[in-house]
Amino acid sequence: MAGILVVLVILLPWVGALAVWLAQNRQPKLQHTLAVIFSVLAALASILLLGDATSDPVIQISLGSAFGELTFVPDGLAVSLTAIATVIGSLAVIFSMEYMRGDEQLGRYYFLVLFFIGAMTGLVLSGNLLFTFFFWEITALCSYGLISFYNDDPKAVAGGIKALIITQVGGVGLLAGTLVAFTALGSFQISDLLANSSALPAASLAFIAFSFLIAAAAKSAQFPFHSWLPDAMEAPSPVSALIHAATMVNAGIYLLARFYPAFEFVPGWRTSVLLVGAISALIASLSALVATDLKRVLAYSTVSQLGYMVYAIGSGSVLASQYHLLNHAFFKALLFLAAGSVIHSVGTRDMRRMGGLRGKMPFVRNVFIIGALALAGVPILNGFWSKELILEVSLENSPLWIHVLMLAGVGLTAFYTFRMIWLVFFGQERDALHYHPAGSPMKFSLAILAVGTFTTWLLFGGLSELLASTLPYHDIEVASTAELVTALLSAPATWFTLVIVAVGFAICWVRARGYRLFGGGWLTPLVESSFGFESLNQWIVRGVSTSAERLRATQTGELNWNIFGIFGGLLLVLIILWLGVK
Amino acid sequence: MESITFGLFFLGAIFFAYRAIVSKRILSATIYLACISALVSAVLYRLGAAEVAVMELSVVAGLVNVLLVYAVSVVGDDAFDPPSVVPKPLAFVIVGLIVVLLGWTAFPAVSVYFERGSTTLAVALWQSRVLDVWIQIALIFSGVMGVLGLLSEKTPGKTEEFQP
Amino acid sequence: MTFTPMNIVLLGVIALLGVGFYGLLVTRNLIKVVMVLQILIKGAITALVLAGKLSGNLGLGQSTAATVIVADTIVAVVGLALAVQVRRRFGTLDVPKISTLRG
Repeated sequence: MAGILVVLVILLPWVGALAVWLAQNRQPKLQHTLAVIFSVLAALASILLLGDATSDPVIQISLGSAFGELTFVPDGLAVSLTAIATVIGSLAVIFSMEYMRGDEQLGRYYFLVLFFIGAMTGLVLSGNLLFTFFFWEITALCSYGLISFYNDDPKAVAGGIKALIITQVGGVGLLAGTLVAFTALGSFQISDLLANSSALPAASLAFIAFSFLIAAAAKSAQFPFHSWLPDAMEAPSPVSALIHAATMVNAGIYLLARFYPAFEFVPGWRTSVLLVGAISALIASLSALVATDLKRVLAYSTVSQLGYMVYAIGSGSVLASQYHLLNHAFFKALLFLAAGSVIHSVGTRDMRRMGGLRGKMPFVRNVFIIGALALAGVPILNGFWSKELILEVSLENSPLWIHVLMLAGVGLTAFYTFRMIWLVFFGQERDALHYHPAGSPMKFSLAILAVGTFTTWLLFGGLSELLASTLPYHDIEVASTAELVTALLSAPATWFTLVIVAVGFAICWVRARGYRLFGGGWLTPLVESSFGFESLNQWIVRGVSTSAERLRATQTGELNWNIFGIFGGLLLVLIILWLGVK
Repeated sequence: MESITFGLFFLGAIFFAYRAIVSKRILSATIYLACISALVSAVLYRLGAAEVAVMELSVVAGLVNVLLVYAVSVVGDDAFDPPSVVPKPLAFVIVGLIVVLLGWTAFPAVSVYFERGSTTLAVALWQSRVLDVWIQIALIFSGVMGVLGLLSEKTPGKTEEFQP
Repeated sequence: MTFTPMNIVLLGVIALLGVGFYGLLVTRNLIKVVMVLQILIKGAITALVLAGKLSGNLGLGQSTAATVIVADTIVAVVGLALAVQVRRRFGTLDVPKISTLRG
């Protein structure tokens, strides 16, 4: 049963992608319907799979001695991420029914989105490292295709290429680690790596650990690879919600969580993970304080929250990071889709031109506020519980100064969240903007996500049990939701954090009253150069582009030179043979 | 004695091949090609493969050569010999390296002598490799179709000069 | 290093292949390319027959060589038809001038 569900979860979106492409752009209604049907079916299959989670591989196809076995392992980590990916995927597709109405290249859009959903589920379900890499690359490709979807816009194309190149740096890290693991272990299976990690030579294990960390940091837009995510906001909003908030960027977190037992004792690794998470969380929060583009604020907040998840793994609690991942996926997707409604309505992303929209879009305003409060960590909403859990874990396991920095981050989060709400919905209308209310597909997705934001925190007990029972190498304590609630509410640290959140809100309220929410003074130039790291990322992107241009000279298109190339290859093979014969 | 015969045949073949490549007129190249075919056919006969030698002579020296001459007559034999795209010394060097390496590594191969059952051509072709025969038939069909399709394309109006 | 007759044949085959490779690198005329391919194929069938003789399985070597001859003839025929069409369409048989797949 689990085997069939695994196959369905991966193949249904892919079949849907093919079906949408075959339906052709002349029949947009058919394309919308097919996309929704296939993504919802995949979501149902993944929810059913939640019940069948097991730590044994359910599909095992031998691929010969070179590639090992193609296995899919639906353990707790995999099925929870699969469920998130497909459920939020289907909601984003439903939202796209209205957001992308009238677009001329609908086939390409839905194809990429559905192809992506299937690849993401394959990534987390795969038990063979080589196939994890394969699916990883497919998600990078779809992400590039969707960021540059409006390919007449040079900014979109530039953003897409930047995202592609930087995430590919991560892909190289993943591949290098995989190959080193293969030479040391003789197998590509993830379970083999987890079981025998202590038997590996220390240098190899350290290499694998750090190259996977680089892969995760690049994919999840963590320091120092964090600058591609804000520029990726040129994508259509459902894409931002799906890929850059709820699923693809979680692939890095998944990688760290999956291999945590193998790497936790590598000297320096946990500290590096801690630092990467903490620095990302802080820089991103600071950057969000002065951003004027609505989606950019959300992008920075994504980087920041992912930083919290990475930090949680560094502190030793995979459960806390996965719990925050679950909650974050819901409220962040909600925020992105709500922002998408606003942007679709008023036609601009610049917050300086918005303002006073509260009366005109009541439904969107309400769900947006719900999502934002969850982001800030207000009690009852889901963000509060998981953030508190992370801070609780960090108080026990991490150095105090980092913990204090993370607390400061919480305050900053509250500040920029309130700023965002105020600038968009309250205050005076700064510009005469046309608006129109959201239609029912948009409202449907937003409503479900809002309900989720109120309730997903209740799943903690189920999540911990799922993870503990199916992840044999991780050390996960089972705790029920009630235990979590009592533990958090009785800890003084929780109340302290709430005070900080309140302070953040208060400072922002004061500034908002004085209309001093723009202009960051000394902060803005720092943010614009991404705290100096924009130059690193620009250097990488420029280096790749210029070397590609230079290598173009070898593609002469002339027959004789092509034949020369063939002979060059033949010569190389002969030299290798000759050296072997000697 | 055998070695000398083979050696002479091959020297002739290589000489003619070189002349065919560097000749300015294509028609003289076709004649050289026919000579190479004859010499190679002789080598094949001396190796014991009489049937293939006959095929080589009749098909390649006959059919393909005649086709070449026909094509040249249709196209027109303009004697142009532009300098080659790949610089000649570079070509010599890389081909020389390949030949030397190949010769050096493959040289001991001839002393590997293993007795397998010997079959005649008739048995091999029509029984054990009968799939090859079907493939050849399919190839001939597709080749004929291809040629018919290619040659029946009408030129669009006047001959368009290609603008590079 | 004994030079048995078979050794000579092997060296001769390799030399023929080498001349063919050189020709492919140097030729600029499409019909000459077809001709040079013929030279290469002659080397190939001699090698096949040689291998058949050395392993005692001359019948197999011959049948493979026959297949190769048929295939190569088809290639030559279609290649020449293509060359005729290229001449009609582009007006020239100069390979660098008709290469449009660039960059």
